[in-house]
Amino acid sequence: MSSTGNLAGRISPGVGVGSGGRAVCTACGHDLGPAAGPWKDHAGVREVPLAQAGGEAYDTGDDAVVLRQFHCPGCAVLLDTETAMRGDPALVDRPAAR
Amino acid sequence: MDPMTFSIIRHRLFRIVDEAVITLKHVSGSAITNEGHDLMVSLYRADGTLLMGGVGFLHHLTSAAEACKAIIRRFAGDIHEGDVFLLNDPYTAALHTSDIYLVAPIHFDGRLVAWAACFVHVTDIGAVNPGGFAPQAPDIFSEGFSSPGIKLMDRGTMRRDVLDTILNMVRSPEMVTLDLRSMIACCNVARDRMQALIAKYGPAKVDDACARLVEQSEALLRARLRELPDGSWQSRQYLDVMGRTARVVLTMTKTADRLVFDFTGSDPQSPHSINCTKWAALGGLFAPLFPLLCYDITWNEGVIRPIEMIAPEGSIVNCTRPAPVSVATVGAIQSVNNAACTTIGKMLAASDKYREEATAVWHANHFAIFKFGRNQRGGYSIGILTETFAGAGGARSFADGVEIGGEVPNPISRMANVEQVEGTFPIRYLFRRRARDSGGPGMFRGGTGGEMAIVPHKAPDGGIDYVISGKGARHPMSEGLAGGWPGAPNSYIWVHAPEDGGDAPVSGAEGIDSLPGRRERVSWGVFPLRGRDALYVRWNGGGGYGDPLARDPELVRADVVAGLVGTASARRIYGVEITDGAVDAAATQALRTTIRQSRLAREAAE
Ligand SMILES: [Zn+2]
Repeated sequence: MSSTGNLAGRISPGVGVGSGGRAVCTACGHDLGPAAGPWKDHAGVREVPLAQAGGEAYDTGDDAVVLRQFHCPGCAVLLDTETAMRGDPALVDRPAAR
Repeated sequence: MDPMTFSIIRHRLFRIVDEAVITLKHVSGSAITNEGHDLMVSLYRADGTLLMGGVGFLHHLTSAAEACKAIIRRFAGDIHEGDVFLLNDPYTAALHTSDIYLVAPIHFDGRLVAWAACFVHVTDIGAVNPGGFAPQAPDIFSEGFSSPGIKLMDRGTMRRDVLDTILNMVRSPEMVTLDLRSMIACCNVARDRMQALIAKYGPAKVDDACARLVEQSEALLRARLRELPDGSWQSRQYLDVMGRTARVVLTMTKTADRLVFDFTGSDPQSPHSINCTKWAALGGLFAPLFPLLCYDITWNEGVIRPIEMIAPEGSIVNCTRPAPVSVATVGAIQSVNNAACTTIGKMLAASDKYREEATAVWHANHFAIFKFGRNQRGGYSIGILTETFAGAGGARSFADGVEIGGEVPNPISRMANVEQVEGTFPIRYLFRRRARDSGGPGMFRGGTGGEMAIVPHKAPDGGIDYVISGKGARHPMSEGLAGGWPGAPNSYIWVHAPEDGGDAPVSGAEGIDSLPGRRERVSWGVFPLRGRDALYVRWNGGGGYGDPLARDPELVRADVVAGLVGTASARRIYGVEITDGAVDAAATQALRTTIRQSRLAREAAE
């Protein structure tokens, strides 16, 4: 975990703030853009209807309800999830401006 | 003040609240109070500010403070020893009309020194629908008796005219009398014990200790906030009612030793009774804040000072009169609970020191189902399905959520025994158990929720009716954390018995698949449960924590064996292949590699 050794801070367990104010994957050190972000713009995202993602227990009969999965483009680790109505903006988490 | 005396007084205050809660339960005869623990007792300073918050539904702690202040303003010069005031107007301080506050001044040597306040969800409040939650109410005027402040007891004597007026407006006056008397007993005990404490240590010393206690809480919370990372975190909750979707959007910003909860971007107030007033929204964000950030700090005014709330007027979290709010406690308030739990959880998880205090959202979606009708003894019963209080724990950074593990806003919530319900209502349970695939997947899994089905049984009218305020069944509300998935959403299904006759099902070994008949989703309004029909309810699991592909395959196998996770989910979500009851390590590794590659491949394609 050498890549996490010199973090200036974190936005979440999986997304750190590295040198130069860059967001990084804490698992592999992959660059996720400026920490002021949003880092999700630089992550991989998979958006599928909830029922398709989760099966019967998640099937509420509405395809517009989606599960978003944000993963690291470097190591594929899942960094965050959201449930949303299709078309709603992604949630933004960011460190304090410096 | 010497630290020993300070500690003793602090502890005595805590015990006063504890004993008052016990009194409340001993006198009350209602399942929602005794079994569900839908209650709260707290102590307040002479100016109405929170002194010692108690257990129960924590979103009442700050609202009851506002109730005390409203009584102080309204009855200035007319507040006497032995008085008890009633307040349940949501636009003054209450959360909804059926959660009645009783507020009692505490005097010593003729001087007002403190307040005791408590609430229970009374059996009925005379709203358009029985039980207090009124999905059919278009406005506050249809949500029953509502008072911005009235004197119920005058210098220790019940005001019969006031009591009889209230009882004249409710469906179950004998139960509502008991509800009110349980709260009066609770206030009496709190007052007596507080007076005994002051008699022992003297009013000056107790007042000094109380002031220091508030200062201590403020200093401790500010110190904790300074240790946490600065930043802003967002969360969003959806509430759907009759095809209309409303959003609660929260941006929580933490700077140094201050925390701002900003609900800008939330949807306008709804025509349905899921709205909440600003006092309710404030209480709603404090409900998770007390246990998650102040688990070792006394819950009082000092904790409130570093916190600011921005709630746009006319929005679903700060509605304007006469918007209906009777479903608020399981509507907008619970969404505020959830949203605040998520943003606080994100902030804690971003801290190396406090990560273990973070949690995904617990049981996020109450289903307020009130049964009502003629019971097997010919009387009339109204009561909630207390399974709504059973809950499910959110996953943490080091452990799974607790199965059927309760909820964050009420640390003592629980459900009634099946037999208790069957003894009160002409119904029979076919099954009640943990619900497969309900816990949010993750490296640590959210606790499972439950599922149950009921049918009429020996009902003189052939069955009963029920009011359901099942908003949000289209959306998972127990958000996951750090890559964890949300818990599966609630589900309410009316199973219409086949037309070909035959007996009602007597067993539910296979869950809902045991129940023959046509299935209809229900969520909002009044519905019958009659003849051979059944009502199936599944409630949400807790949110998960971390990437499900990082979960120990042996834990997934154990979940499959226990019936908590299905084999299809084990394979598709966790990437775990189980053969003959054992983890196939090679196949699991291959499957997980494939899922990871598909994540990256999609990225390359886009
Ligand atoms: Zn990575």
